[in-house]
Amino acid sequence: MQMSRIGSPSVGMDDDGCAGHALGDFLLQLENYNPSIPDSVVAYYLNLTGFESQDPRLVRLIALASQKFLSDIVNDALQHCKMRTSNQINQSSKNQKGPKEKKYVMTMDDLAPALQEYGITAKKPHYFV
Amino acid sequence: MSEMSEKTETTSDARRRILNIAVSTVLLETGFDAADKVSLETLTEMLQCFFAEVGNSAKGFCELSGRVEPVLGDVVMALINMGISLQGIEQYAARPNRHVIQPPQQAPAPRT
Repeated sequence: MQMSRIGSPSVGMDDDGCAGHALGDFLLQLENYNPSIPDSVVAYYLNLTGFESQDPRLVRLIALASQKFLSDIVNDALQHCKMRTSNQINQSSKNQKGPKEKKYVMTMDDLAPALQEYGITAKKPHYFV
Repeated sequence: MSEMSEKTETTSDARRRILNIAVSTVLLETGFDAADKVSLETLTEMLQCFFAEVGNSAKGFCELSGRVEPVLGDVVMALINMGISLQGIEQYAARPNRHVIQPPQQAPAPRT
């Protein structure tokens, strides 16, 4: 009993060490990397909250993480959009035949269910112009 | 006073516009052709909130351990605490057809 209790945290620590090493290596790669969002913009918003770092790699990591987060959500929304439009096209092709070029437009109808999967409740404001 | 508030609005507008471009870039990369204004604005607001939350949280973790300047561990803790997965971030960083936004120009200081 005692052994297992001692054993299990060390296994967890090992895992953390591995992940930490991998991220540490990744941080070194970030030295010569430019994320899409400029460093100065991210740093501005971080500084607003009191986060001040001399290390630009941390800022780049945050920029990259935010972009990936956004990309995951948008990808989900795109799947929703594709499903919705394919249903509509199936219905409309019964009425009028002819190939219609597909253009994917993001609307709140697609975004809201995608955000809901991430635990974010977004409601369309009724009087937003 | 009104001049002051106008000024702060225009300065934050520049960053906000870049966030808007960043969201649009992500949308285009994913495969969307267009977006309506409400969803674009929602995503922009989310991006800004994301930075604020990570900054606040990382600063909290940093100060909790008695440091002044955040280290990698603080940022990773903040991201994990928010439930952001860092799993495929290296692949995401190395993705092809990446688009880099030009940083904003520094406006010259107004002379009076």
